[in-house]
Amino acid sequence: MNNQNQFYKEIYRLTKYHYKNSKEYKKILNLLFPGKIKKTIENIPFIPAKLFKDIKLKSISDKKVFKILQSSGTSGGKTSKIYLDKQNAQKQTFVLNEIASKILGKQRLPMLIIDEKKNISDPKQFDAKTAAILGFSLFGNSHHYLIKEKKIDYKTLNNFMEKYSNSTFFIFGFTSYVYEFLIKSINNSKLKKNFSNAVLIHGGGWKKMEKIKISNEIFKKKLKEKLKLENIFNYYGLIEQTGSIFFECRKCSCFVTSKYSDVLIRDKNFKILNNNKVGFIQLLSLLPKSYPGHSILTEDMGEIIENNCNLCFGKKKFLVHGRAEKSEIRGCSDV
Amino acid sequence: MTGKINYLVGNAKFSFDPYEPFSKEVCIFLDIFSKELNLIKDIKNYPDLKALSFWCRNKNISKLKKNFNLDKNRIGLGGIFHVTPANIPTNFVYSLIFGLLTGNSNVVKVPSKEFEQVNIICSLIKKILKKTNNVLKNKITIIRYTDNNEFTKKISSRCNARIIWGGDQTINSLRNFKINERAIDINFADRYSFCIMDASKMEKMSNFEIKNLVQRFYNDTYLVDQNACSSPHLIVWLGKNSKKLKEKFWKELYDLVKIKYKFNESALVEKYTDLCKFAASLNNIKNIQKFNNLIYKIELKKIDKNNHNNRGKWGLFFEYNSKNLAEIKNIINNKYQTLTYCGVDKLLLKKFVLQNNLKGIDRIVPIGQSLNIGLLWDGYDILNILSRGIEIK
Repeated sequence: MNNQNQFYKEIYRLTKYHYKNSKEYKKILNLLFPGKIKKTIENIPFIPAKLFKDIKLKSISDKKVFKILQSSGTSGGKTSKIYLDKQNAQKQTFVLNEIASKILGKQRLPMLIIDEKKNISDPKQFDAKTAAILGFSLFGNSHHYLIKEKKIDYKTLNNFMEKYSNSTFFIFGFTSYVYEFLIKSINNSKLKKNFSNAVLIHGGGWKKMEKIKISNEIFKKKLKEKLKLENIFNYYGLIEQTGSIFFECRKCSCFVTSKYSDVLIRDKNFKILNNNKVGFIQLLSLLPKSYPGHSILTEDMGEIIENNCNLCFGKKKFLVHGRAEKSEIRGCSDV
Repeated sequence: MTGKINYLVGNAKFSFDPYEPFSKEVCIFLDIFSKELNLIKDIKNYPDLKALSFWCRNKNISKLKKNFNLDKNRIGLGGIFHVTPANIPTNFVYSLIFGLLTGNSNVVKVPSKEFEQVNIICSLIKKILKKTNNVLKNKITIIRYTDNNEFTKKISSRCNARIIWGGDQTINSLRNFKINERAIDINFADRYSFCIMDASKMEKMSNFEIKNLVQRFYNDTYLVDQNACSSPHLIVWLGKNSKKLKEKFWKELYDLVKIKYKFNESALVEKYTDLCKFAASLNNIKNIQKFNNLIYKIELKKIDKNNHNNRGKWGLFFEYNSKNLAEIKNIINNKYQTLTYCGVDKLLLKKFVLQNNLKGIDRIVPIGQSLNIGLLWDGYDILNILSRGIEIK
């Protein structure tokens, strides 16, 4: 409980900090959360994730911008822009390291990336996927890329497996890529080794999986059947809160909060919902300091879970149910 | 790009011939259509079909015919290519009826999204045409296609008029396809609409009258997610600033919306994002009031000529108190379409447009009639534009 209090004190401080340092954030708070900034959990102001697509939101001067993260915008859509100073970027790496090392250990592992190798043209500006790959690459060495010209590069794969598959190795990829290549396209007869020593971390993009109706459970089952891959960890996170991501519990598959993060569920009137009730997911993170992203309302639906899992016992955890089904707006304007 | 042309009504042998406006055949056809539509099994689930059936009932068509001076020696232009909007399922029929009443042959492109209403209407039209072995047969062609520039190019070059229901994007993309030198385009572009109420005049209204007004306001807005070009985004309260009446108005609206409006939750975060976006980017906001997430109300302290960008959806309104009409004349530009009113003399509003040389405001109608489509729409006198007059001396 003390930790919880400490967390919310920090969030309150961050809210005040951003109020002081971001002109736009201040205007939003003045108009939508009038009066003194509140300390209670349910009254912490929140802004929608999508707002980063429309408005330049940052709490640092232009001079201090060290890196810009960009969401991978859907076809033709606008992209979110997250402005980082050096300090914030370092903090993200530090926290990601702390959270991920619980799964991967402190040692760097040989790493297979389920993607194509890309040349980063501008080291100061990249999209969410590249940011994730770069972020997780720090936990690996001998990086190999599985895909070449949109196909599995079996030569590279078998080389990698020959050398490293006899002890623990690390695979990272976006969920939909893992599905596309490791479940759908891979040809077992071309493989010389199996994946039983692998630890797979994957995240992002359940939207595609929902469309083809592949649940996390089926996903895991298929990887086990096909490749003997059993150590699989899904993660959930926002580009607005890079670093403080949520890994699923190995046993109950709920996303587990860390000391850097918290989650709240709100109903259609933005009232806070009790455990086991489905609503909009609000995510809190102690990391965002160069931009006001510490309290974000997502478009994802989810619920906080109370269960008897003995592995993640005592921790706050939640499930994500994906996005509310989009219904067509009425009317004649297409703006 | 050669997407298949799917003929929902008619076939590739469509006519481009003109004929007399309000022809007997068309009037009979519409009469049958209206009656049979009203008889379909699930009509009560489709208020838009019900409204359509009501609109083309004999009485309304006869009224329109009477208003149209038949001695004018007019005939249709020929073939019309209609490009209809993606989000209103029944709009394409109104467009088609405009073409029929004015004496034209019609090729109507319907939205690629498969609305049940479109299927119901098309099979009914087919049935009527077949049963009556109607001369209108090759004058009503309804098609659906995507990505077929060849077809768009060909029909654009052949037709005598195009009716293009916007957005602006659709209009601009169709401008890439040339039409004949004598042909015309009627473009229904993206528009902005607003509402003027005189609170001091409304103070005399009874509770019942206010409730009734609010119901009509609801029909103008929430019924179409506030996303029709004629749905108001801005409310101007004229004259004396009657706080009490305004409060009553919003409270009544909130009570109604709570019961009636099915707000899709997927739009909620988008609506909230819009609100935050306005809060962060505008500098003329006095305050914001939220009635849960059902009504967002942004009161402006000043109003400027960029006001037409302040556009809400799903019940996000801008509000401004104005001492008199003169104060808002500078915000009006050619984006402004419908002005709905209450407690204000319509002749005063007409004067406002004429005497201030305004480029905008094409419709001045009481609250509740913003969506009522007619033959004078968006500033266009459709009957005259889609037919030609013959000088005979």
